[in-house]
Amino acid sequence: MKRDFNLRRSWFEASARARLAGLLDAGSGKELLPPAAAEPSPHLAALGLPGAFDDGVVVGSGRLAGRPVLFAAQEGQFMGGGVGEIHGAKIVGLLRRALREGPDAVLLLLDSGGVRLHEANAGLIAISEIMRAVLAVRAAGIPVIGLIGGSCGAFGGMGIVAKLCSHLVISEEGRLALSGPEVIETVAGVEEFDARDRALVWRVTGGKHRFLMGDCQAFVDDDPAAFRAAVEALLAESPVDVDELAQLRRQQAALTQRLAVFGQCRDGLEVWQALGVAAPENVPMLDARALVSLKEGLSA
Amino acid sequence: MNAPLSRNWDSLRQSRRDRLARAASQDFARAVPADRIVDLLEAVILPGDRVCLEGNNQKQADFLAESLADCDPARLNNLQMVQSVLALPSHVDLFERGLASRLDFSFSGPQGGRLAKLVQERRIEIGAIHTYLELFGRYFMDLTPNVALIAAQAADAEGNLYLGPNTEDTPAIVEATAFKGGIVIAQVNERLDKLPRVDIPADWVDFTVQAPHPNYIEPLFTRDPAQITEVQVLMAMMAIKGIYAEYGVTRLNHGIGFDTAAIELLLPTYAAELGLKGKICTHWALNPHPTLIPAIESGFVESVHSFGSEVGMEAYVAARSDVFFTGADGSMRSNRAFCQTAGLYACDMFIGSTLQMDLAGNSSTATLGRIAGFGGAPNMGSDPHGRRHVSPAWLKAGREAGGANAVRGRKLVVQMVETFREHMAPVFVEELDAWKLQAAMGAELPPIMIYGDDVSHVVTEEGIANLLLCRTPEEREQAIRGVAGYTAVGLGRDRRTVENLRDRGIIRRPQDLGIDPRMASRDLLAARSVKDLVRWSDGLYAPPARFRNW
Repeated sequence: MKRDFNLRRSWFEASARARLAGLLDAGSGKELLPPAAAEPSPHLAALGLPGAFDDGVVVGSGRLAGRPVLFAAQEGQFMGGGVGEIHGAKIVGLLRRALREGPDAVLLLLDSGGVRLHEANAGLIAISEIMRAVLAVRAAGIPVIGLIGGSCGAFGGMGIVAKLCSHLVISEEGRLALSGPEVIETVAGVEEFDARDRALVWRVTGGKHRFLMGDCQAFVDDDPAAFRAAVEALLAESPVDVDELAQLRRQQAALTQRLAVFGQCRDGLEVWQALGVAAPENVPMLDARALVSLKEGLSA
Repeated sequence: MNAPLSRNWDSLRQSRRDRLARAASQDFARAVPADRIVDLLEAVILPGDRVCLEGNNQKQADFLAESLADCDPARLNNLQMVQSVLALPSHVDLFERGLASRLDFSFSGPQGGRLAKLVQERRIEIGAIHTYLELFGRYFMDLTPNVALIAAQAADAEGNLYLGPNTEDTPAIVEATAFKGGIVIAQVNERLDKLPRVDIPADWVDFTVQAPHPNYIEPLFTRDPAQITEVQVLMAMMAIKGIYAEYGVTRLNHGIGFDTAAIELLLPTYAAELGLKGKICTHWALNPHPTLIPAIESGFVESVHSFGSEVGMEAYVAARSDVFFTGADGSMRSNRAFCQTAGLYACDMFIGSTLQMDLAGNSSTATLGRIAGFGGAPNMGSDPHGRRHVSPAWLKAGREAGGANAVRGRKLVVQMVETFREHMAPVFVEELDAWKLQAAMGAELPPIMIYGDDVSHVVTEEGIANLLLCRTPEEREQAIRGVAGYTAVGLGRDRRTVENLRDRGIIRRPQDLGIDPRMASRDLLAARSVKDLVRWSDGLYAPPARFRNW
């Protein structure tokens, strides 16, 4: 059993391209706008900041378990995965291509703190265009699957985009929220949220918390093979993807209810206790399989 | 003929009786209340006394240190401090407040900057900077303490002490003090009716005081695997394949840096793949490094003796008593003096890092404006000429250095460094900062950590230089330049000589060792996070909060 630790690949530590290599069928990935064709951000250049040839996102097509997919993979190691004008345009273009090509799914490998502040307005517009495009793709019956397990998590505008996806796969290392911990601390004070308390940050925004809360559909180990298996399972279910109005109303009611039930909690531990987890303090050490069965026990 | 010398032969005992009588006259019993500790110290310590303040880079008699610093300099002054480590602000306060004037020590860590300032202002006189073994040795020669202020986990009503897993320096200090007319005062974290075990018997201890807070312990040996870089993985692969495997190193000590943590984490993966399990790294003089857990769990490690413990490793160590030294109560027993002895005489290899190395291989962690000291590295990182027993690694190294008829072996002393440190500061330099520091301190010698003539190998991301095989100082210099990469020292190499050294196997690049640098990936680490270490330990390792993100 201990050999499991050996030679394990990490999604968290991998670059965007390394994640894709582990996610897709071997050799099937094909980059659109490959290095020679893409352009770095003109906004960063104007500020005298170094750019990246791909502007921090890799888009393209490939196969997963033989099924055609399109992908966009954010590179958290470039400017925190921040969404600038070109970065955003590449994702939007990919989503529009999906409408034309009709792949079995669009995979968004999210790893972003949100809008790239150096390109504030262009970035904000890009986020809204991505949101619109995600909904259009879903309306066409194509699932959009978000994968969250990178070092930057999915925050800000990309947190919203994540929640517009048909399905989310998250690892323990992944984080999902709107405002980042530092933003909350800056705005509301350290008493409200201590962004340096890493354990607290993970208990409130981390993958385990999101999965227990039902914000993500699949919880996996920090391993490209595990993400791949989760996506494969979701595709095999051939998920029905269009949100009906009644379903949206039920979701809205559930969110209102959530605030009423958990609104006074100060920590993930308290939330999990309120959810009925018998030993909340043990949750952080559970492996993926144990957490999934814990969650199944709660819903039963 | 001279008349027989007429003198008292028991002045130390007399002085001790006077001190204890002064304490008794102020109603002090053996158990001292914390709020009267300053009065006790002023009663039993005399101006000009040699005082040993216990504190290493791990546990600290911090309450006694603060209390001593709170004493009245009009009553207590000119104290001659002897201590392993100058680590706490209160240690320096003693000198700034005029209580103490002279210091003999080993290591200064975080207070290195303040210490250098005091030296330059001539407000402190430094006797010498020692290695731990030297300092302990001098406790029994010419630096025997009049008073020792020590830290223990618990005391019973009689005054017996339980030291807990962090025994560290205590036995050496108490032995030197208690048997030469000195006074021993122990701060304890708790008082117990029955101790788990007796580490120091009551009649070696004069007073105990329960400190308001448990004594401070620094988790100095915890390295978060998440911070290990792929360059360090590459260097670790080279060290394992090019040194550990080639010499069959079974008995060793590791430094505390990330470079050696990477080696520990490659044992269950890369080294196992090379078939080295059972052939290398079986016996250690080492603190219980959390990064050694995967190697222990994989069956690489037979035995570990430790200088001290490590915060969070207590339950793990207790549950692995085949590997670690433990008492009858089940908990760890460490001992710095004995472990340093093991590191000096019973190890075939020391491997560690440094901040600077010169062309002769001398290395130093001293930088301008800081007096850091040595700690234990120079004990472990030196070739003991007194050694007689033979091992394959020791013999092979000796024959490489002295030819087939060498009359003695050699310890492997390996320095493992990236060519540049943080802020692009080159590790390889023409002249160590230690020389400038010597001038600034007015010292007789520069503070060199490991002498070049003890160094057997230098490992960098550029390759391994085997200094044992060098036959002239010029060859050594070129061998060091040959692995110094793009530093000025490296660029100053003579290309033809370096190529010649490579042909002779004195310099070996990764490809010479059959290592493809592109394969050096963090994926090879048996654990990539502190949490992985906890999992390897079956939940027995309990890391301190600052190393947790859960």
